[in-house]
Amino acid sequence: MELLGYVLSGLVTGAIFALLAAGLTLSYSATGVFNFAHGALGFLSALLFFELTSGAGLPAWPAGAVTVLVVAPLLGYALHRLMFRGLAAAGETAQIVATIGLTIALPAFGLWVVDVLTGTFGLDLPKVTEGASARGLGPRPVRAWHPLDGVTLDSDQLTTFALAVVAAVALWALLRHTPLGLRMRATVDGRDLAGLRGVDAGAASAQAWMLSSVLAALAGVLAVPALGLDSNAFTVLLFASATAAVFGRLRSVPVTFAAGLALGVVQNLVAGYAGFAEKVTGFRTAVPAILLFAGLLALNIGRGRAAGTIAEDVPPPDYLADLPRWRRALPWTAAVAALLVWTFTRAPDDYWAGLVAQGLVLALVFCSFVVVTGVGGMVNLAQASFAALAALAAGLAFGKGLPFPLAVLVGVLAAVAAGVVVALPALRLGGRVLALATLALALLADQVLFQIDAFSNGTVGWRLPAFSLGVGTTGDARLRIVLLLVIIGLTGLLIRNLERSASGRAVLAVRSAPAAAQAIGVSATRAKITLFALASGIAGLGGVLYATFNGQVTSTDLPALTGFVWLAVVVLQGVRRVGGAVLGGLIMVLFPEALGTVTDSPYVGTILFGLGGVVLARHPDGVLAQFAELRYRRRKRRDRLAEVAGLAEPAAAPPSEGPAMLRLEGVVAGYGDATVLRGVDLEVPAGSVVALLGANGAGKSTACAVAGGAVAPAAGRVLLDGADVTALPPHRRAREGLYLAPEGRGVFPALTVEENLTLWLPAAADREDVYRRLPRLGERRAVAAGALSGGEQQILALAPALVRPPKVLIADEPSLGLAPLVVAQVFELFGELRDRGVALLVVEEKAGEVLALADTVAFMSLGRVTWAGARAAVDEDRLTSAYLGLAGREEA
Amino acid sequence: MTSTTHRVLTFGAAAGLLAAGLGACATDGTSSAAGAAGVTKDAIKVGGVLTVTSATGYSTGGSELGAKARFDRANAEGGVHGRKIDYVGTEDDGMLPDKGAAGAKKLVQRDKVFALVPVSAPQFGGAEFLEQQKVPWFGWATGPFWCGKTSAFGFNGCLAPKPGQQTQTWWGNQVAAQIGGAKGKTVWIQATDSTASKYGVATMGKSFTAAGFTLAGSSAALPAQAPPQDWSPYVNKIMKSAGGKAPDVLVSVMAGGKFNSGLYAALKEAGFKGLITDATSYDPKAVADPQAARALDGVYAAPQFEPYESDVPEVAKMKADLRKAGGPSAVLDQHAAIGYWSADVFLKILEKTGEDVTRDAFFKAANGFDYQNKGFGQIAYPAGKTASNGCGALVRLSGGEFVVAQHLKCFPNTTL
Repeated sequence: MELLGYVLSGLVTGAIFALLAAGLTLSYSATGVFNFAHGALGFLSALLFFELTSGAGLPAWPAGAVTVLVVAPLLGYALHRLMFRGLAAAGETAQIVATIGLTIALPAFGLWVVDVLTGTFGLDLPKVTEGASARGLGPRPVRAWHPLDGVTLDSDQLTTFALAVVAAVALWALLRHTPLGLRMRATVDGRDLAGLRGVDAGAASAQAWMLSSVLAALAGVLAVPALGLDSNAFTVLLFASATAAVFGRLRSVPVTFAAGLALGVVQNLVAGYAGFAEKVTGFRTAVPAILLFAGLLALNIGRGRAAGTIAEDVPPPDYLADLPRWRRALPWTAAVAALLVWTFTRAPDDYWAGLVAQGLVLALVFCSFVVVTGVGGMVNLAQASFAALAALAAGLAFGKGLPFPLAVLVGVLAAVAAGVVVALPALRLGGRVLALATLALALLADQVLFQIDAFSNGTVGWRLPAFSLGVGTTGDARLRIVLLLVIIGLTGLLIRNLERSASGRAVLAVRSAPAAAQAIGVSATRAKITLFALASGIAGLGGVLYATFNGQVTSTDLPALTGFVWLAVVVLQGVRRVGGAVLGGLIMVLFPEALGTVTDSPYVGTILFGLGGVVLARHPDGVLAQFAELRYRRRKRRDRLAEVAGLAEPAAAPPSEGPAMLRLEGVVAGYGDATVLRGVDLEVPAGSVVALLGANGAGKSTACAVAGGAVAPAAGRVLLDGADVTALPPHRRAREGLYLAPEGRGVFPALTVEENLTLWLPAAADREDVYRRLPRLGERRAVAAGALSGGEQQILALAPALVRPPKVLIADEPSLGLAPLVVAQVFELFGELRDRGVALLVVEEKAGEVLALADTVAFMSLGRVTWAGARAAVDEDRLTSAYLGLAGREEA
Repeated sequence: MTSTTHRVLTFGAAAGLLAAGLGACATDGTSSAAGAAGVTKDAIKVGGVLTVTSATGYSTGGSELGAKARFDRANAEGGVHGRKIDYVGTEDDGMLPDKGAAGAKKLVQRDKVFALVPVSAPQFGGAEFLEQQKVPWFGWATGPFWCGKTSAFGFNGCLAPKPGQQTQTWWGNQVAAQIGGAKGKTVWIQATDSTASKYGVATMGKSFTAAGFTLAGSSAALPAQAPPQDWSPYVNKIMKSAGGKAPDVLVSVMAGGKFNSGLYAALKEAGFKGLITDATSYDPKAVADPQAARALDGVYAAPQFEPYESDVPEVAKMKADLRKAGGPSAVLDQHAAIGYWSADVFLKILEKTGEDVTRDAFFKAANGFDYQNKGFGQIAYPAGKTASNGCGALVRLSGGEFVVAQHLKCFPNTTL
């Protein structure tokens, strides 16, 4: 009976985990951003709900509806516009850090607004103090039932469970059975392709964020009667829920939901039965963290993704590379010299010198982020725990009578050992999965390791006295500054050498192309371990000095959440350089000081630190790199303008004869500083096939991308049926009748055949037409497109165009990798489409069959159309010279 | 040579040169710790560190009003030996140790205060700094960092003694008085799953067994970071702890309204009829919400001062002072009283110090200081550095009103 009671009430706890986890999974799978701030969204909604009910006196249900159905979607939309939209394209590090910044900023923002409303505008709203208990959606007073002996259920629990189940079913139905859900899933499966099929990927992301925000809000409102308005409790709740999301592999909403329910039950059973656990302080608290860690290792989510991705975290170009060495070093040398001169004008116990020293200690800890994140491209959320671990270990050693230098060594070594332990999962995991794993370890350290009395000396902690440096003790702030500058300098040197060493290059190789690195035999294992060990050592030394300058260390001095703020600050300044770390450390201590002259609110600083995440979404490489880039752009702009102007000019006379359905005029385009298309003119008339031929690298696919809208040209125009569409995004061009089948297979592998067709053919009758024409697809309509053969996929990619012919069809290498028989079938389809008036642009590397089909042939070479004319005029000589790049402009 | 190497060497060399210079001037760099910082001919500057805001919503912010009210009275009476108290207000530590340390440094090094009054922060991080700088600090001693320090003065003594030192028995004795004797009565102690809370289990167990109770059991199983959504596993355990029956008394050493009101509501639902007591529920804000008021109804809160509801003249004076300083809407919570009495103890020692105020003189005066007051009982130093002052009261919440159940009384300590 007792067991049944635990299971039933565990399901209620689980329902809240499940709701949060479902929202997390939804937003992750729809946008690729793992939202650490999901719990903070829940808190903000709970706060609003509390103020609406307790403050404004609204009844619970209308207040709930306003919070969950009106404000939450608006908040989701606002965050999408401000932040998530930019993040989708940013590297993983920036994504993680930005949402962590939001985790910090959102609750502070809510509390600040309440403060301002009560303080400045005099509204009579309740403040969030401990006693102010918030109610939930359930009725008041709470009613309780005892359906069975030993089983108690109350009206709050039943309300929570019922609403969670309703929300889950609604979510499932929405994703599976509505056009909105289909568009979201298509965006998840292939963002670019979705655009080409007329799906506005941005809008789909916005909708996903709004939906996920609704789920967070609902969970927040349901959880608040039990949790209270405690923003940390919500963050912890989110981590627990992340466990469920991980068990759903961050993909499947139903599995996630079930895992959330199960987690609630497991937690209850451990609380009820695991008597042994009581001996280990913190064990019960840590159950979700333990499961999270175990789940990450066991399910090994990272592996599948790593194979398909290339350089998610591309290092930014070195914008200062063209400056002389002395010019690069000048600002830093001058700053250090100025700092030293200033330092010696101060008294030994000067407040400001003390602050600067404190900032430099943090800067030293931040250098560890430079190693592990800046160089290694990995996000470690346990850095504060490493620092605390080292400080506690040093304190323990010193407390047991070891001499101070040895104690420091013990501390640093303890951190290094911990770093190696963390590196072990890092070998298999990557990106956000690694971040989650380090988070789980950090929580475990806080909740279990640091709770061991023998290690942390209870709540008293350990004393660490100032030490002597010959000329004085570290009680003197000036001496601390000098000492820290020397240590940071040496650390910078170490990092520089590391980057240039064999391990450094190995890491860089692994980071930008894991598969390629493996192919040439570069081992990431040793490199990753080296990085983690070194970073932990630096963080450990920083931690020991932090504690020493503070005089003491206790287990609560550096909680895991502090590490979040640190990471946000240092990444915002630029995590790839020691300069960013130093700036970050100084800002961390001096900024609140400056802010104190403007406002008394403790929230404003937190909001601003957190909002750095929004900046990061726009400029993922941090403030320092941003300045460097600005200066670089200014230096380079003139050269670039000249180049574009020079290229665009000679292409002034397009061979115009009659109206073309698709026309490229003088298109200049490329990627970053590399120009690929150097003035392309091309036209495709209705009811004809243009074959675009050229060697590998001639710019054919880029030309397709410009036509489709994926790449914006630097100069020139794209005309569709006479209208200038240069400024239109891909989905708008698709809706205007441009159908692009990209290189490879233009299908959504995770969607069924039926769903693939639905995106272009919303009417069921149209899809039936396809199945009549292509019975093979009809047989397999419920099969995921990824399970079809290559030929079937290519047919599926082109099939919608048969039923609803577009104005223009562009096929990029349609015959690549297909059997001759299938190629013949594909080209037959093209012939039919031409006869129905479609303008076709068929891009091929090999002339082959396409010559038999084409009306007009264009050759591309080195980013230009070198020859275009009727197929009849193409002979073997022309082909040869075209491929060999001999066909010059004079010939055309 | 790379630019970084170059840079490092440049400032390495600069640092070396300057370090040599430092050696010359470090010798004459005198520490101001023993001087008369913050003391002028006619004023003494003080400021405090409080947990005004925190992620959990816990706040000791009310102590600022209490200290201000007491200092206002002192200034109105002409100050201490002609010097007015210049109270610069408080720093908020947000319940983060590093912010607390920064706040203490700011007050000492930038604002140049003479002492820190009041300090009331469960996770104060500035203790060791203040001890190194020999700056006196006064407040509500809750954590072990208050204990055994020259510079730290808890108005209530030290609540977290080491094994072998003296710990309080007043709580157990007061509860025993409330239920007509402890003989044959059982008590359950509930804590959260953290070191600090487990420590509370030990001292509280001692307090109640010393008063004659039998320990039915204790638990520190509640997840420390957030209250559970479901209380049934914990409540079931309590309801069967005294030989299959519910215990007579439940003591909660958990901080946080949600923990306590959640547990009490669940206990009552399960049919618990015993006495419930805790240290934090004496809070007008805690009972503002009807649901929480229902959960807390009948609970005995245990403040370490004579309750506001008492008619003792010292309390009437305090209430008048608080209303004068904070206006008619002043919130009279336990933190206001704590701030008030902390400031009171500071002023008394300052008075004893005499006209020549330095920190050294102050510490000398504090040594052997013995003071009694009906408002909070008694305090003597250095005894109060390692042991509780031994005094406490019980307040019962009944129908949304607080009622004095046991007036403040002091009891002898017992060895932990």
